Amino acid sequence: MTEFLQALILGLLIGGVYALLASGLTLIFGVMNVINIAHGAFLILAAFVTWSLWRETGLDPLAAIVVLTPLMFAFGWLLYNATIRPIRRAPPAASVLLTFGLALFIEGLMGEIWGNTSHSVRPGYFTESFQIGEIFLPKAQVYGGLVAICVLASLYLVLTRSWLGRAIRASAVNPQGAELVGVKVASVAALTFAIGVASAGAGGAIASVLYPFLPGSHYQWIARLLGIIVLGGMGSLPGAVIGALCLGVAELMTVTYIGPEWATGVPYLFVFVVLLLRPQGILGMRLRQDVATA
Amino acid sequence: MTDAGATAVAEGTLKGGGGSPSQAPSKALRSPWTAVVAVAVLFLAAFPVLSDDLYYQNMFILSMVFAIGAVGLNVITGYAGYVSLGQGAFIGLGAYTLGICVNDIGGSPWVWVPVAGLLAGAVAALLGVVAMRARGHAFVILTIAFLFLLQLLATNWDELTNGTGGITPPLPTWSVEYQNWPYYYSLMGLLALSLLMSWWIRRTKFGMGLIAIREDEDKAATVGVSTPTYKILAFAASAVFVGMAGAIYGYYIAFIDPLGMFNILLSVQIILSLLIGGRATLWGPVLGAFLIEWLNETSNNEFGGGNARLLIFGGLLTLVVLFLPQGIIPTVGGWIERWRTRGKAGLAGERLSGIDLRERAAPAPAAPAASAAPLLEVKGLEKRFGGVCAVDGASFTVPEGSITALIGPNGSGKTTVFNLIGGTMAAQAGEVWFDGRRIDGPPWARAHRGLGRTFQITRLFGEMTVLENVVAPLREFHVGLLNANAVSGREAGRAEELLDFVGMRKYRDVRASALSYGQQKLVELAQILMLDPKLIMLDEPAGGINPTLIERIGEMIRELNSRGKTFLIVEHNMPFVLGLCNPVLVLARGQTIASGAPDEIQKDPKVLDAYLGEDFRLEQPVGA
Repeated sequence: MTEFLQALILGLLIGGVYALLASGLTLIFGVMNVINIAHGAFLILAAFVTWSLWRETGLDPLAAIVVLTPLMFAFGWLLYNATIRPIRRAPPAASVLLTFGLALFIEGLMGEIWGNTSHSVRPGYFTESFQIGEIFLPKAQVYGGLVAICVLASLYLVLTRSWLGRAIRASAVNPQGAELVGVKVASVAALTFAIGVASAGAGGAIASVLYPFLPGSHYQWIARLLGIIVLGGMGSLPGAVIGALCLGVAELMTVTYIGPEWATGVPYLFVFVVLLLRPQGILGMRLRQDVATA
Repeated sequence: MTDAGATAVAEGTLKGGGGSPSQAPSKALRSPWTAVVAVAVLFLAAFPVLSDDLYYQNMFILSMVFAIGAVGLNVITGYAGYVSLGQGAFIGLGAYTLGICVNDIGGSPWVWVPVAGLLAGAVAALLGVVAMRARGHAFVILTIAFLFLLQLLATNWDELTNGTGGITPPLPTWSVEYQNWPYYYSLMGLLALSLLMSWWIRRTKFGMGLIAIREDEDKAATVGVSTPTYKILAFAASAVFVGMAGAIYGYYIAFIDPLGMFNILLSVQIILSLLIGGRATLWGPVLGAFLIEWLNETSNNEFGGGNARLLIFGGLLTLVVLFLPQGIIPTVGGWIERWRTRGKAGLAGERLSGIDLRERAAPAPAAPAASAAPLLEVKGLEKRFGGVCAVDGASFTVPEGSITALIGPNGSGKTTVFNLIGGTMAAQAGEVWFDGRRIDGPPWARAHRGLGRTFQITRLFGEMTVLENVVAPLREFHVGLLNANAVSGREAGRAEELLDFVGMRKYRDVRASALSYGQQKLVELAQILMLDPKLIMLDEPAGGINPTLIERIGEMIRELNSRGKTFLIVEHNMPFVLGLCNPVLVLARGQTIASGAPDEIQKDPKVLDAYLGEDFRLEQPVGA
């Protein structure tokens, strides 16, 4: 029972971090109909930058979020305008291939800069734990999960309470309609992509403490995030949160009861099962398609 | 309107003759291309005999592995439009099959090559089953998950795969004198078989169905293309030879491990081969594969591999998507075509041919004979979208031989009713009876039964020519049909008659996406006439087109009706409906609230209420 409770709580904490990362991915998909395969690479990039900051200045990885979020926001905005904007009217496959190319490029770049060895960020509290009864909760995971939830909450506030948030949601639901009522959809898309990448920045900083990483880790991360948004329903933010919590718990349960080497398989299983049984995911909706496309 | 055309339409006469679809660009390219290809093939075949340079032999062997992968990928990505990032997985699957079978069961490794191919094909078909419900992005995600899942299995299933330790197949038994010839020539044979398959697919109904799926999968289903069968066959076809090539590849490099065999870079190189050479072309994937393998060697030799390969291939993928989306062969073909046709005006702005604007008083629509049996009967149809009840127990009948209208305010559920009848959507309750039998199958089965429909916003297969669009519908399906010519002379003849009937014959060889909206409506009508349907359902035939064309469409409908076609028409243009249709059915809030002759409907208070609302009658009529 203790084992189960521990796995559950840790799974939920990790799930909070996953939720933050998957929100960016699902947001980009919802507004732009782009599956950003480079999302995992963005977050590993953020993790490496966090590592360098921690190494050079001793900056706490969780505090590094303050630096990384604006940095990755700018990076995302530039990248969108340089690469994705020109192909926004191309068939959807183009953006998948493009972001896949970006992911490989960033992986190679990170390998050149930081080398292809495993890195991890270990602040002072890294080895400490909270103890509640017989349950041990590593401080890094608790802090990481809580910070992720805070960042996620502020993302929600932006999306639900600001003009930009309304513009983003309007662009997601009906781009032509949004354009008609004065929303510059292309600019909103750039901002959305930047916000998505910024959330990968924040999430990457947190993830750098939780898991060791190397440039090639981005495949595992993107698989995880894709599993989450497929489960939650592609484009749905609440779906991403639910999917993330499910995956966090499922992974921890797999580690506890089946074996850590199979944990990476959980997202793939999610993808296959969901696409077979309920392709629209938990919160996704299947819409009328006959009038949606011209 | 030519009477001969109309007769053919109504009676389904199949006249011979007529042209085959024009393939102007490829014809123009044929002679130089043939020579280039022949020289390249001869060179490749003679190379190991003429030169004992193992470095280049190795390069050609790897090029051929990529080429086989890319030709296979072309079947689903190029023809059917399903992008896969997991094509490399079939190479790994083939290699592992050979490695495991030869070590655990024994025998010659060559025996296991076809087994590897069959297994790869079967797994791909299974993937196709899952993909029946996953399109576009969901499918891409599925292929990534598939690749990683196989890698994970190869890594963790120690008893079978020896995990990260990998498998070493037995060393070759032939004389050193023959170097790598057996690998080389067997791969060359496989490449030839793959290309033969690709060529066959392109020229048959199978390939045409796949292209229709690529252009618009739902639409393809409504014109009789049994999409799951096509997709599953295409998936299997895309993997069989790749699995065999993978087996030979594993035997050749003599070490089969999870990281090498399920490396995502392998998939990237296969995709790049296809993209660079040109999707949906025969030789593009081969050309691309040789270029990519050359680049692969260069990046290993000049830049030390590793991260440099990632930078080069990642960067290249990005650049190709941005700057060479068509690939080399279509781009060069396009230049040649533009050069050839320079100074000639296009057809797109021409007047429609065959318009005959004789002043004639249209007869008032005749009521259907009292004895007319219902051709279509809808009973208690229901469809909800979340909380919205779009169709709420709609029931009506369409008498055989009538032109029946289905009208109603915006949002009353007309198009949803169409989708339910056509099978594009599944109803939550209710029955549809057609021609005396209940229908509840998929859209293509309903199309085979004689149900044809158009869409509110025209949905032609944009990349196909007008003629190909009209020929694409299938009135039946059986496996033998897949082998039939994509456009037979008979069909082309009939399609031309139909195009003549709608006045679009001149546009035969124009790409459908280049037509105006009104022209697309006419072609879409000709397209469903190809099905020779008993019931023709038109969704807003008069919407968004000019008055002359509206009149012309009305005439065509009358003409077809007089030759026995029954119509069900959704339309907002009231003069058009009232002058053409009888009976008229009125739908409001998902229910049929009235039906009858046009003049009855015009006076029906319930109809006025549905259209104009309660308030309208409380006020004094304006100008009264």
